Amino acid sequence: MGRIFMITLEGRVYSCKHCFTHLALLDDIISKSFHCGHGKAYLFDKVVNITEGEKEERMMMTGLHTVVDIFCVGCGSIVGWKYEAAHEKAQKYKEGKFILERFKVLGPDGGNYLAIQESLVGGSSDADDA
Amino acid sequence: MGGVEDDEPASKRMKLSSEALIHLSNGSTVKESIVGSSRDLMARPLQSDGGEEVVGSKGVIKKVEFVRIIAKALYSLGYIRSGAHLEEESGIALHSSIINVFMRQVLEGDWDESVATLHNIGLTDEMIIKSASFLILEQKFFEFLDEEKVMDALKTLRTEISPLCINHGRVRELSLSIVSPSHCFTVRSPKQNTSRARSRTKLLEELQKLLPPTVMVPERRLEHLVEQALGLQRDACMFHNSLDEEISLFADHQCARDQIPSYALQVDANGISLKHKLSGHQKPVSSVSWSPDDHQLLTCGVEEVVRRWDASSGECLSVYEKAGLGMVSCGWSPDGKWIFSGVNDKSISLWELDGRELECWKGQHTLKISDLEITSDGKQIISICRETAILLLDREAKVERFIEEDQTITSFSLSRDNRFLLVNLLNQEIHLWSIEDDLKLVSKYRGHKRTRFIIRSCFGGLEQAFVASGSEDSLVYIWHRGTGELIEALPGHSGAVNCVSWNPTNPHMLASASDDRTIRIWGLNNLSAKQKDTHGNGIHYCNGGT
Repeated sequence: MGRIFMITLEGRVYSCKHCFTHLALLDDIISKSFHCGHGKAYLFDKVVNITEGEKEERMMMTGLHTVVDIFCVGCGSIVGWKYEAAHEKAQKYKEGKFILERFKVLGPDGGNYLAIQESLVGGSSDADDA
Repeated sequence: MGGVEDDEPASKRMKLSSEALIHLSNGSTVKESIVGSSRDLMARPLQSDGGEEVVGSKGVIKKVEFVRIIAKALYSLGYIRSGAHLEEESGIALHSSIINVFMRQVLEGDWDESVATLHNIGLTDEMIIKSASFLILEQKFFEFLDEEKVMDALKTLRTEISPLCINHGRVRELSLSIVSPSHCFTVRSPKQNTSRARSRTKLLEELQKLLPPTVMVPERRLEHLVEQALGLQRDACMFHNSLDEEISLFADHQCARDQIPSYALQVDANGISLKHKLSGHQKPVSSVSWSPDDHQLLTCGVEEVVRRWDASSGECLSVYEKAGLGMVSCGWSPDGKWIFSGVNDKSISLWELDGRELECWKGQHTLKISDLEITSDGKQIISICRETAILLLDREAKVERFIEEDQTITSFSLSRDNRFLLVNLLNQEIHLWSIEDDLKLVSKYRGHKRTRFIIRSCFGGLEQAFVASGSEDSLVYIWHRGTGELIEALPGHSGAVNCVSWNPTNPHMLASASDDRTIRIWGLNNLSAKQKDTHGNGIHYCNGGT
């Protein structure tokens, strides 16, 4: 396989649970009040070492959004999604930002996160009406 | 001049016979008037056939200037009579009469008269008059010295050259040459030599450069314009990749596509056999480079050590490491006497071949995944120092320059002449930067695909006129460097093409390496170069023409 291009982050890093690839910094968290099928999710301003999937229209808790799923470049596992467009004005602040599912990443202290047993409908959930 | 076509130069038009003119016009009355006026022209040679000020379909060429440079070209080629005839027939003089007088005076050595004429030409710039006078009087001075008329030379220097009050340094040199005649020979500019007649022609050329071009038409102006046009045609030719392409004046130059390597000549290891297996690295090897003398190899393990190997014996000659740290990249100095390496604490270290550390630049100089290159003069070290910036570090002057981008930089490639840098970005763009004096973004190339891997690109072709790159869609992309146009996207590989390398000595050969575990050699569609032999053991090969 070719040499994967990986950015190394410095500081308090969230990394991929499976291959430890750096994904985002704690300082780039915008909100911790999001939810996904596996429990908590955080909204990040910037995420690295990911590839994007196809654009989709998804109905979330706060309305219809255009999103792309994001995957870790190291192992290809899905780690969250990115908001491409929000259809309601109040949700526009999410555009261009990323969601990392807490269950899919290791925290800065290396801590894992146990998923909530309930599985919500549809993969994504959304929230945070800040 | 009625219905006559306006897009031919006046001289050509006048040479049309009256029969030919009939076909262009639409009535006998017109023919008569044309014949009449050409007869008039014969009778009045100095009258310009007024009316048309410009020639050419775009109307930007002034006819008077056009005829003058043609006349000048005729004279330069030695066709004196043709030149004189042109001046007479067109009624446009190459030089005004006073300039002709001036030129004759210079060539005959009438120095004082020529300086006087100089003042009468009607030049507005005082400096030009003074500089031209200086040149003429300098010639007078040297000719006196040649004839050993030292007192006359001195008088010229004192009373004529010095009062001009320009070029004092030269005046001092001239006075020195009186004092020591042997010094005279070193003081003289290259234009001065033993034959005086030749010097005067050279003097005239120097004066020509000084005077405004409208006053005295510059030498070889027409040739220069034609060469300029040919140069532009060549630059615009997107497929120009062969030295022996002759450019004719009769048609605009345009190469066919067939000069770009686009046929897979060889795939993988036909005719190549394994010589050595170099073992020793514990971690994956991220880079391999040949020494400048081609006898040794330098390899780097990812965050491990750098090893130097003898290529013929396969023996490991040296290991370069730093306690507690790992090497991330490596390279040779252009003279092969030392090596340099990026370290995972962001510093760059230099080592003698024997392992002694020469220098270490601490601080943010390189990243864990970063290319590291040195210019062929050994002066600048280039490295990706931040996610969106490339550092150009001048080793001697200790000056740092930065190329700043908006996107993350994944890799870069230095041109052979050290003038350009090709920067690969995360967002699938390749940027061409000029790094010679000021750092300037010159071009962008798009079309290839990159999402996960480091994809490399390179310069190539005749005078590095092309940019080639790998791509994750398994095609090899080739752009014309100057125009930025995509010329080729070569299919053939069945996996991501990670890097490409254009043969530095053969502009018709390109190699590409891919995740499909093959290396392809691309060349021209030359039947004799196709490989037909078969191999087992899973090596792919190509029968040409893909």
